[in-house]
Amino acid sequence: METLLDVRNLSKTFPGQVALDDFDIVIGAGRTHAVVGQNGSGKSTFIKILAGYHQPDDGSWAELVGQPLRLGDGRAAYDAGVRFVHQDLGLVDGFSAVENISMGVGYTTGRFGRIDWSADTARAADGLAVLGFTDIDVTVPVGMLAPSQKTAVAIARALHGWEQDAHLLVLDEPTASLPGVDVERLFAAIRILKARGVAILYVSHHLDEVFAIADDVTVMRDGRRVTTMPTTDLDHDRLIELMIGHRLVRTTRRSAAIAGHEAALKVVGLVGGTIKGIDLEVRPGEIVGVAGIVGSGRESLAPLITGQRPSDSGEVVVLGTPIPNYSPAAAIRAGMAFVPADRLTNGVIPLASVGHNLTVADVKRHWRRGRLRHREEDAECMDLIERLNVKTAGTAIPIAALSGGNQQKVLFGRSLRLDPGVLVLDEPTSGIDVHAKEQILQFIDEIAQDHTAVLVVSTDTDELVQVAHRILILVDGLIVAELSGADMTPENVERTQLQTSKNLESQTNETEPNEVAAR
Amino acid sequence: MTVTVHQESPSDEPSTDPVVPDDAARSVGLPPKPSLFSRLGINRFSGLYLLGAFFVFYGLTESNFLIWNGSIEFVLTEKVIVCMLALAFLVPLTTETFDLSIGAVMALSLVIVNKVALETDLPDGVGALIAMAACLAIGAINGFIIVKLRVNSFIATLGMSTVIAALIRKIHDGGNITAAFGSGYLNFGTNDVFSFKWPWSESQISLPFYFFYGLAVAVLVWYVLEHTPVGRHMFATGGNREAARLAGVKTDRLVWGSLMASASIAGFAGLIYSWKFATYTSSVGGPLLFVAVGAVFFGASQLKLRPNVWGTILAVYVLAFGIKGIGLRYPREIDWIQPLFEGLVLIIAVAVASRQGIIKVARRRNDAQPVVEDGTALQKVIDDIPEQAEKVD
Repeated sequence: METLLDVRNLSKTFPGQVALDDFDIVIGAGRTHAVVGQNGSGKSTFIKILAGYHQPDDGSWAELVGQPLRLGDGRAAYDAGVRFVHQDLGLVDGFSAVENISMGVGYTTGRFGRIDWSADTARAADGLAVLGFTDIDVTVPVGMLAPSQKTAVAIARALHGWEQDAHLLVLDEPTASLPGVDVERLFAAIRILKARGVAILYVSHHLDEVFAIADDVTVMRDGRRVTTMPTTDLDHDRLIELMIGHRLVRTTRRSAAIAGHEAALKVVGLVGGTIKGIDLEVRPGEIVGVAGIVGSGRESLAPLITGQRPSDSGEVVVLGTPIPNYSPAAAIRAGMAFVPADRLTNGVIPLASVGHNLTVADVKRHWRRGRLRHREEDAECMDLIERLNVKTAGTAIPIAALSGGNQQKVLFGRSLRLDPGVLVLDEPTSGIDVHAKEQILQFIDEIAQDHTAVLVVSTDTDELVQVAHRILILVDGLIVAELSGADMTPENVERTQLQTSKNLESQTNETEPNEVAAR
Repeated sequence: MTVTVHQESPSDEPSTDPVVPDDAARSVGLPPKPSLFSRLGINRFSGLYLLGAFFVFYGLTESNFLIWNGSIEFVLTEKVIVCMLALAFLVPLTTETFDLSIGAVMALSLVIVNKVALETDLPDGVGALIAMAACLAIGAINGFIIVKLRVNSFIATLGMSTVIAALIRKIHDGGNITAAFGSGYLNFGTNDVFSFKWPWSESQISLPFYFFYGLAVAVLVWYVLEHTPVGRHMFATGGNREAARLAGVKTDRLVWGSLMASASIAGFAGLIYSWKFATYTSSVGGPLLFVAVGAVFFGASQLKLRPNVWGTILAVYVLAFGIKGIGLRYPREIDWIQPLFEGLVLIIAVAVASRQGIIKVARRRNDAQPVVEDGTALQKVIDDIPEQAEKVD
């Protein structure tokens, strides 16, 4: 195997923390090389040093195709042919693909500095066609494109001129916001690039993707390289073990629906967004999962139930109380708690402290005789932090300083302290590492043991199978199937989603959707 | 583990028993030794240090500076009005709403109370009530425009202040109004409290009623913001409106309410003006707005590192005593030095506050950036927090 990039003795110390500790890595030419590790394992720091965003400590050494490469110098890396697509793609949503690409690589100008739009348009279309994306209208704002198309635009921009000099494309969490189908398109593009001899450095939390696309994988832990090996020599569980440094203890589900009880959450004829009419019930102690591919209405379901978004019609009943449309406050009063998807936009209050983030949904508890009992509140928060195993240096730290997994645990704590009868979770483990994910799945089970009715909407099929008692499959805005017991396997869930969506397409209006949905 | 967590402590004082478990205590840990800079709190208490410096410097060099009647009483009472406007700006700012109409609202309140006294037989107190009601109505309209019509608060209140200016011209065709009030009304505001003399001093030490009315407003705002769930919800709304709404906070109602509160406080500032000066001039209001805004931003970099009442008040008086000292020193230059000083302080204060991420004057892309894996971007904020963050994850 020909060596493309060789990095040795790379360390990086931040005040009070060693992010990289004598790290080394060898990437083969034309290989797709995945770097995995939990949050804080140092993989981001490595990428950022490569991109020139951070300076390494003294003593590091690196070579790219036999030429010395100065680490921490973004210009040098670019000139040597290392290109980056970061998680936040760096596109301007209001600009077209043409403008976004030209913004990055420079506009083609004619006389008097006039922009030669036709040349730029052709360039953008060509760059995208190379990646297999011939279906993009390069003149519409990229905000209107599908997520995978946006990623392609970012890659096309990064790879501009690659046939001459790009040797290594770094993709940092490229699928973080990509739904399943789009991931496939991205993989197709990666395979095209690979066939053309571009090496890919692939950073991802999604281990399935690592197995699907990577030739080699480097596992990082605590700023060190644990191992590098061909992906074929590993399996999923072994990889997780390497990442967390010990055997993964899978949660075993202990909760069970309470038989004969009235449903705690009842949804009747819910319509809104891409949801076309949903009935469902969750009994106390029961965990119901909802799966669905992109466009199935999965993203709309939890927001409609919880009042995050207004519904067009239908009724949501929580513990016997009908909830007025579009009112999270009323839902909470009735006994529902909610952990929304997209933590940063809808969940955390970034500069507020961990403590204030925990208690915001019910501050009144500590308000007695005209005063907020700050010390009592703090004690409750310390207690929650300990129960939920949140890693934080106290309750007064701004929550934005915590890792994603810990922020998510705080949001869980916010819901738990309401002692909810119904808990609705929307993508509860997105963007967090395996360890935090296992803990959160365990909380979910514990909450259900406490007789809370739990509804989990997730793109992560494995997680649903692991935690739910039954899984509802959403296709085209309707519930088309329910899996439970032995039928509830990841393969079945995936197959049902895809098959039923094909069936629905082929059958015209012969069957009323509601009949299919009948349970 | 039970998931239900109710922490009801029966007694008034929360027990100091080891509710803090060992692990958690360890994770809080002993903060690393703070630098001299943060030990002295030079950033969080920069206002106090500056105030002290002014007192020492001007106290030693200007014979009139430390005299009660010479400057202290003058500055204390003079700036009550600016303090009120600053509080009026502060209240909606906690919900990330800008109210720039407060200067105009204050002028409106002043012109109404004067006009009623001058042209009707109604008691002056009734005029004051009418003025306050008008201001409250303006606040409600601001709230409607911002909450229901979803107009950016900056634009909405800027437009509203021009509308109010038009209203004022319709009510009163320019020129000053003087000597319209009865003595009862004026005494209600200006009677002295604890008037006494130091044995070794010739000067009469006293403060007027309106100073204490202002103080009461400040205490009330402080209490609501810091010691009630409503205040906590307001800061949550300002911190992330959608997240707060999804946590059950009635964000629209809070924004609306905060605008009504701000208009009321601004209206009250107009009443204080009427007690203090007993006149109406058409130039009142607007120019004070910028000093008030500057004080709020300056104050946000003080004490609690977010917009707060006592930081704001401190900022007003730091500025005022600074200007007073300059005025004593260069009496002929103060005309142009004062606006220069106030303008520069506003810019510097906002620069410092936005640098520390305390105030989002304009929401930047970076604000939405996730976890600080290596702890650089937020380090500044964290530095200022006593329990120094040991890096986690």
